[in-house]
Amino acid sequence: MLVPKKNPSGVLLWLIFSSLLACSCSSKGSSHEAIRIRWVHDPETINPMALTNQAAIEVNNLLHLSLIQANLTNHQYVPALAAALPEVRLVGDSLMHITYELRPVAAWDDGRPILGSDVAFTVKLMFCPGLPNEVVRNQYHFIKAVITDPATPRRFTIVCRGQAPEYVKATGDFCILPAATLDPAGRLSRFTLAELQHRAPTAPADTALQALARQYQQGYAGHPPGQLPGCGPYELVTWEKDRFLHLRRKSHWWADQLHPAPLMLRAKPQQLEYVIIPDVATAILALRRGELDVFPQMPAREFERLRTAPATRAALQFYTTDSYNVVTAGFNTSRPVLADAATRRALSRCFDAGRLMKATQLGAGQRTVGFISPSDTANYNRALALIPFDPIQAAALLRQGGWRRAAAPTAGWFRPGPAGTSQQLRLTMRYRAGDPLLTTIALQFQAATAPLDIPVSLLPTEAGSFSEVLRVGDFDMYAQVLKGNPFMFNFTPFLHSKGIGVGNFTRFTTPASDRLIEAIATASSNASRQRLLRQFQALMQQEMPMVPLFFLPSRTVADKRLSGLNVGSLKPGYLATTIVRAARATPAP
Amino acid sequence: MAGFIFWRLARTFLAIWALASGVFLLSRHDLDTALRLSLPDAASQAGSGAALLPENQQAAQQALRRRFGLDLPVFYVSRGPASPAGVRPWHWHGGRNQYHQWLRGLAHGDWGTSFRTGQGVAGSLRHALAFTLPLTGTAAVLAVLSALALAQRLATAPWWQRPMRAVLVAVHGLPLFVVALVLLLVFANPDVLDWLPTYGLGSPNELNPSTSQQLADGFLHLILPVSALVITAVPELTLQLTAALQQELGTAYATTARAKGLSAAAVVRHHALRNALLPTLAQIAEFLPALVAGAVVVEVVFALPGMGRLLAEASAARDYPVLIGGVLLTGAVRLLALLLADLCYLWADPRIRWQS
Repeated sequence: MLVPKKNPSGVLLWLIFSSLLACSCSSKGSSHEAIRIRWVHDPETINPMALTNQAAIEVNNLLHLSLIQANLTNHQYVPALAAALPEVRLVGDSLMHITYELRPVAAWDDGRPILGSDVAFTVKLMFCPGLPNEVVRNQYHFIKAVITDPATPRRFTIVCRGQAPEYVKATGDFCILPAATLDPAGRLSRFTLAELQHRAPTAPADTALQALARQYQQGYAGHPPGQLPGCGPYELVTWEKDRFLHLRRKSHWWADQLHPAPLMLRAKPQQLEYVIIPDVATAILALRRGELDVFPQMPAREFERLRTAPATRAALQFYTTDSYNVVTAGFNTSRPVLADAATRRALSRCFDAGRLMKATQLGAGQRTVGFISPSDTANYNRALALIPFDPIQAAALLRQGGWRRAAAPTAGWFRPGPAGTSQQLRLTMRYRAGDPLLTTIALQFQAATAPLDIPVSLLPTEAGSFSEVLRVGDFDMYAQVLKGNPFMFNFTPFLHSKGIGVGNFTRFTTPASDRLIEAIATASSNASRQRLLRQFQALMQQEMPMVPLFFLPSRTVADKRLSGLNVGSLKPGYLATTIVRAARATPAP
Repeated sequence: MAGFIFWRLARTFLAIWALASGVFLLSRHDLDTALRLSLPDAASQAGSGAALLPENQQAAQQALRRRFGLDLPVFYVSRGPASPAGVRPWHWHGGRNQYHQWLRGLAHGDWGTSFRTGQGVAGSLRHALAFTLPLTGTAAVLAVLSALALAQRLATAPWWQRPMRAVLVAVHGLPLFVVALVLLLVFANPDVLDWLPTYGLGSPNELNPSTSQQLADGFLHLILPVSALVITAVPELTLQLTAALQQELGTAYATTARAKGLSAAAVVRHHALRNALLPTLAQIAEFLPALVAGAVVVEVVFALPGMGRLLAEASAARDYPVLIGGVLLTGAVRLLALLLADLCYLWADPRIRWQS
């Protein structure tokens, strides 16, 4: 080894550097007790009333519990705080009573039982002025009342305005907060839910509500370690914005008394550490060096590279599952050239979904006929054929749409427009700049339409501006990933006429599709909903406001020393609470 | 001199106020996008709860507007809707407008509230600066010292001058992200040199680490990011200073000094350096805003918190209160840095002092 011999300061520097390197090498690897999981973004807030991103939802599900939870493995809602799935009773044609009973062992950290009054308090908090509850207030506006019974304090009924199957899941899927801790003075109990819901925004501030909101906000703004109240298995130890979020398993958690504990109520890791690493290359190096344990949502190429390299194949374990994120291309149906379904169907034949899947996902993923995942066998319409890549058929469909192909020098497709004008099929396609998946889709479409003499201009657009141009309709076509789940079948935000100018970027609307969307949202039974969903998929394939290309896979890579990692199609794609780190082998004497 | 400084400070203050006001008023034209981006994406049914229907989304946006005081008029005066006669009358809103509230808050140290996190902007900036200043400050000091040392050696025309200049020019052409990734892939890669940690500033859950261990851990984590910043900053400073020194060494006073028998290094250090420093002072003044604005590329690659990421994310999410705070801070530092550079010029060159 080379050691500087003549220069004393050089020797000193060398010694310092060597000792630091030794320190680095010794601290490397899995000396940590915590399971370290990569996040791309910071949660930004952990306030259960204002969850802004997936990381925030994930950490809240560890700090708190809801009445029912989605099971990652079988995609069914299962009881969490509730002892069983709720009883549902329709009252007349406009009300729905959803009755829950809480588990007898469910308790807060101080030993107090979790009661229906805590649920009623949480619902009231959603409508309490002064809190950042603008989204939840509008999501849960359908709750009319929470009826508790002092005789059976664990049993309560949520009364809903209207009747929809999604209300059952929605009423059970929010974090329950402790009334006694957050509102020891009982200020909120002086107000009924109706009073809070109908309180005018301009009403003079109520001092009691102001004090409650201030107290609540202070608790979450400062996020003091270990002091956030929750009935989940973990408590917050440290949260350093843009660095990490560290959780510790509670030594006494109520669900430990359940034998056997349901999958969603297990909490094996003693510590969980979510580390925020935005760059993929950095996260992969950290995983390989043992500075990270779980890397969810790994991009396709990196996943494949690690899976095929002998060194990493031996040290890491690889998981691939389906996801509910579907890659789509949308048409602006308010543009005269795209107003007719025949033109849209013709253009849909210019997307080579199979090759796109191969190019961007290395063959993984699922082709689809619509927005329902093929994994959802009950609702997926298998009678429909996949949209083929067929430029010849595209040309034929364009002719059906009234287009005529002109030869050079004015090569292109033309058709007569209103008032003696002429329309030319010339398109602009927008997509989020910097996204390799969407860029590939746009380039493939442009390449496929070029031989047909359909000029396509690509406009990669900055993320913030992208949502605005979609909203105002400044595009002919766009490419986007729709994120879904297997529980919500309400297409109103992005395909109903009510959503035009808000979330319905295609501006597609027909009375038949609106009626069908409304019928799906309020379908009274699974059978009728399945039938309606299949009709809906057929209608969408006929009208083609969007071209569903394929469902993305979800890839997770973990250190080989971990066991018990359950992966699934639901976000975030893995279950952190079942992971166990195998004990390190002790060297033989 | 005091008068000069006072007037320059007054002008600087006015410029900062004009800059911040301009950004504030411009940001009011894009508030709808900002508020929409702080709501769940319509294309995403990722969260729990019922779907946020279009009418509810608009109601939520309106409620957000009220919470952040964005339902008030933007400025002291505004034009109302056209009357039947086609006249658009002017309205005076007094102090009940967004600009006035913002200025009043600023005067009381309240820089506003983030649209996304609901946290105070001043606190967020303070938190980010606590990470950024040690990183960029260390890099700036090391870069300046390295450039001073290297330029002084290069100015004396050693045999390695040409290859070193070639290397410096080549490195100067490399983008920061390339340098950062190369360092990462060389020094934190199990396939090459597995020496240094890849990300962050050290782990939070070591078992009761001693202060020395924490310091050593933090130092190790900062080696690569600081090196990336230093490597990209040194060439520009060195090449400029070397050229200035070589020009000074060709002047009559330098020839006289050499004729008196001084060594080349002594001529550089005691005679040429101070005169050659003037352009470098301007370059260093350029560094100062970057000290507070952070180094977003390095922060992203090495997963470090700081001003760069805070402002880049605020910009992407149209989180205008944070963005305005960041512009105010970096703008103020830039203007103060220019003032500082002028003062340094006065110190370094008596001719400028006499002329002014």
